[in-house]
Amino acid sequence: MTEHVDLEQSYFRRVVRDTFVRLSARIGIAWVAVLVFFAVFAPFIANSHPLLLSQEGELSSPLLNYLTAADVVLILGFFISLIIFMLKRLSRARRGWLAFASLLILTVLANLFIKPPELAVYEQYRNAERAGEYDWVLHTPIPYSPRDYLRDSGDTGLEAPFESEARLHLFGTEANGADLFSRMIHASRIALGIGFVATGIAMFIGVIIGGLMGYFSGWVDMIGMRLVEIFEAVPTLFLLLTFVAFFGRSLYIMMVIIGITSWSSYARYIRAEFLRLRQQDYVQAAVAGGLPLRSILFRHMLPNGIAPILVAASFGVASAILAEAVLSFLGLGLVDEPSWGQMLNQAVQSSSFYWWMAAFPGGAIFLTVFAYNLMGEALRDAIDPYLKRGG
Amino acid sequence: MLLEVKNLCTRLQTGDDAIDAVQGVSFSIERGETFCLVGESGSGKSVTALSIMQLLPADISSHPGGEILFEHRHANSQQREQVDILQAGSDTLQQIRGARIAMIFQEPMTSLNPVFTIGDQIIEALLLHWPDMSETEARKRAIEALRQVQIPHPEQRIDEYPHRLSGGQRQRAMIAMAMACEPDLLIADEPTTALDVTVQAEILRLMKNLQEKNGMGILFITHDFGVVAQMGHRLAVMKEGRIVETGETRQMIRQPTHDYTRRLLGSLPENLVKPARQHTPEPRTVIQVEGLNVHFPIKKGLLRRTVDSIRAVDGVDMNIQAGQIMALVGESGCGKTTLGRAILRLTEPTSGSVKFLNTDITRLTRKAMQPYRRQMQVVFQDPMSSLNPRLTIASALTEPMGVHGIGMNREERLERAGEVLEQVQLRRDYLWRYPHQFSGGQRQRIGIARALCLDPSFIICDEITSALDVSVQAEILQLLLALRDERELALLFITHNIGVVEYLSDDMAVMHEGRIVERGKTAELIRNPSQDYTQRLLDAVPRIS
Repeated sequence: MTEHVDLEQSYFRRVVRDTFVRLSARIGIAWVAVLVFFAVFAPFIANSHPLLLSQEGELSSPLLNYLTAADVVLILGFFISLIIFMLKRLSRARRGWLAFASLLILTVLANLFIKPPELAVYEQYRNAERAGEYDWVLHTPIPYSPRDYLRDSGDTGLEAPFESEARLHLFGTEANGADLFSRMIHASRIALGIGFVATGIAMFIGVIIGGLMGYFSGWVDMIGMRLVEIFEAVPTLFLLLTFVAFFGRSLYIMMVIIGITSWSSYARYIRAEFLRLRQQDYVQAAVAGGLPLRSILFRHMLPNGIAPILVAASFGVASAILAEAVLSFLGLGLVDEPSWGQMLNQAVQSSSFYWWMAAFPGGAIFLTVFAYNLMGEALRDAIDPYLKRGG
Repeated sequence: MLLEVKNLCTRLQTGDDAIDAVQGVSFSIERGETFCLVGESGSGKSVTALSIMQLLPADISSHPGGEILFEHRHANSQQREQVDILQAGSDTLQQIRGARIAMIFQEPMTSLNPVFTIGDQIIEALLLHWPDMSETEARKRAIEALRQVQIPHPEQRIDEYPHRLSGGQRQRAMIAMAMACEPDLLIADEPTTALDVTVQAEILRLMKNLQEKNGMGILFITHDFGVVAQMGHRLAVMKEGRIVETGETRQMIRQPTHDYTRRLLGSLPENLVKPARQHTPEPRTVIQVEGLNVHFPIKKGLLRRTVDSIRAVDGVDMNIQAGQIMALVGESGCGKTTLGRAILRLTEPTSGSVKFLNTDITRLTRKAMQPYRRQMQVVFQDPMSSLNPRLTIASALTEPMGVHGIGMNREERLERAGEVLEQVQLRRDYLWRYPHQFSGGQRQRIGIARALCLDPSFIICDEITSALDVSVQAEILQLLLALRDERELALLFITHNIGVVEYLSDDMAVMHEGRIVERGKTAELIRNPSQDYTQRLLDAVPRIS
């Protein structure tokens, strides 16, 4: 029995380090980082509203005027979270709570006070520019909004990349004439959002139910396992179809439904972990010390049993993204809101096959799911004690 | 000379660091001789054995120097030849390993493959080394080997799977497997550490008999001086990869010359000097157990009806006074741990009562139990799993204090936790460390500190020194005695180590199959036990003199 007196910091850091020494995990996190960047700064990357323009000596920024509450929350939230996580003095848990609270406040405030004009006429800038009304104009890198159907350019419709000589469309345009690249950038928000929120809901329910099952065992476990079996028998896709038919198309309903139908596997994992942990001496010592149940479950057991859940979660995010893509592909996704699956749908709508409509969104879905799977696998190997190098 | 190890060095590679686990070890073993290697954990004794067998993975181990000369007796021609195992090719090694040098391991539960019958495993080894032997012949020899190790009805038992055998029988089967090829050298790496004393005594006797019959050499690795005194002709004490002293066993135990050997022998509970008690408190019963039963139901059939129950604890009565150390002794599976857990209500008792200062706590609700939780604490056996790896020592100690309203605020609790740490002879700044930064002995002290910081009047110590080296064990035992005097603690000390019981406890109770078969003052009970079982248990304990 040799002692491994490792002065080098906690288990959490070691797992993170072990995960990201792998090239595959680095590729995965790099792609997700790119997506996060696109999702947060989407309006500044692809927008028909000019970033800055000067008209008769007067500076104005239509882009800022037209920012929605969601845009503001994402951008400010991103920076606030960054700053909070730089605060090394606070404990990790406290930083997490602080970030969560500030995001919540930010969301409420933004929805109360930010009211962008309801109607956006994208053509006005191009017309005005052509007429020479502006002194100078500064556009975003891609000067098209996801819902700018280029009505001023006549009947555009589907155009392959670089087909039009007057305008530059890197990835071509979709059925209504909007720039595909712009739509894809804005769609990354839905892809990330649905992945994180649906998985978050599933994890929350799964951890609570699985934790109670594992800790109490006996009849609580019996009932819990039957509940798990019931939920495993629910076909998510058909439930989603039914809900869309009854309640209309809403991103939030989709998130919730994907969340509450996929918690069962998390519950199973947590249950198994808790059954093992319950026998550990430090849990017994906590019981003998008269600690409250809340502390035993969430302070003494959960942090020691969370690792397998995180692995499952990274695969869960991937499957939630796929579920949304499938729905959108079937034409039951969001109306008019850009989404990768819906673009795939347009690729095969008419008799001919528009390759750019299939290749780019399809590639994005593939890369994202792949990236999460890569990270999941690396994480799984990092927490597996049997795969430790050098014995 | 059967085996001659000269200046053996073994280097182990872990990641980027190399550890010189064995540094220049030399010794020799004759035919028919038992040579014991003794040392504390991490001293390199097992690595030495594995080096002789060449069982260390080649990618993490290397031998910068030394020779291992083995007199290789060829199986067919009886021709003898001296082989340096470190230089030998894999063919020669294959011939030697298993056939000429056999090894048995510590853990009988995992060293047999559970999906093959024991017969299959012995016959496979035989056929590997004598390819021209027929199956029937091999089977006959396997039965013979099992008979040799005194497994009853070897003709039938040979077709049993390992899970049908008890721990002692498995170790016998392992020995049978090792002996089947009639090796010249048997390496035994702590072969009896995981076994009960009575079983250990049988296995040791068996090994001696086999040695007399076959004249093989034995390299016996252990940390238990009692076993050494019974087994060894010669003895070597290892420390940090070196042999510090070699000599004839009896001579060395009587008159050790090296400081380290002297210190090791001095740490044995038999040799510790018990400090005199300053005062005896007036008798006050802290714990009173009456007719306590813990039965686990056995459910069978479609309707899961309870057909029978396992009586883990079967009608136990026990009284423990303030300032009294009560030892609870018994072999594995006798229910001693379950009894301890039932007293604390970590396992719900089936019937009977546990009175703490005249209050029956067996029927209390979770909430009503709360004030009693503070008074009754427990320290566990395994120092690795008894502390939450994710919490600092400070949170592990202060959280229960907060729950029980000890200390006005965090600062006060931290102050108190620091004091308790100092009481168990640890440094105050250890509060901010995580459990993995401590050694086994230190963790066990922290476990004691966690129990003490609630200021309890009763502590259950469940085999708290079993996983520790003797020198660390001695320190923990002395600490417990001091704490008992200081705080008038009532202690229930659960153990299987009679030496520890003799040193530590005032009274003892012997448990067997869920019942207490005998109890009394420790000194008297050990001098003349009245029950057969107690007598057998005490006789089986290996003693150094």
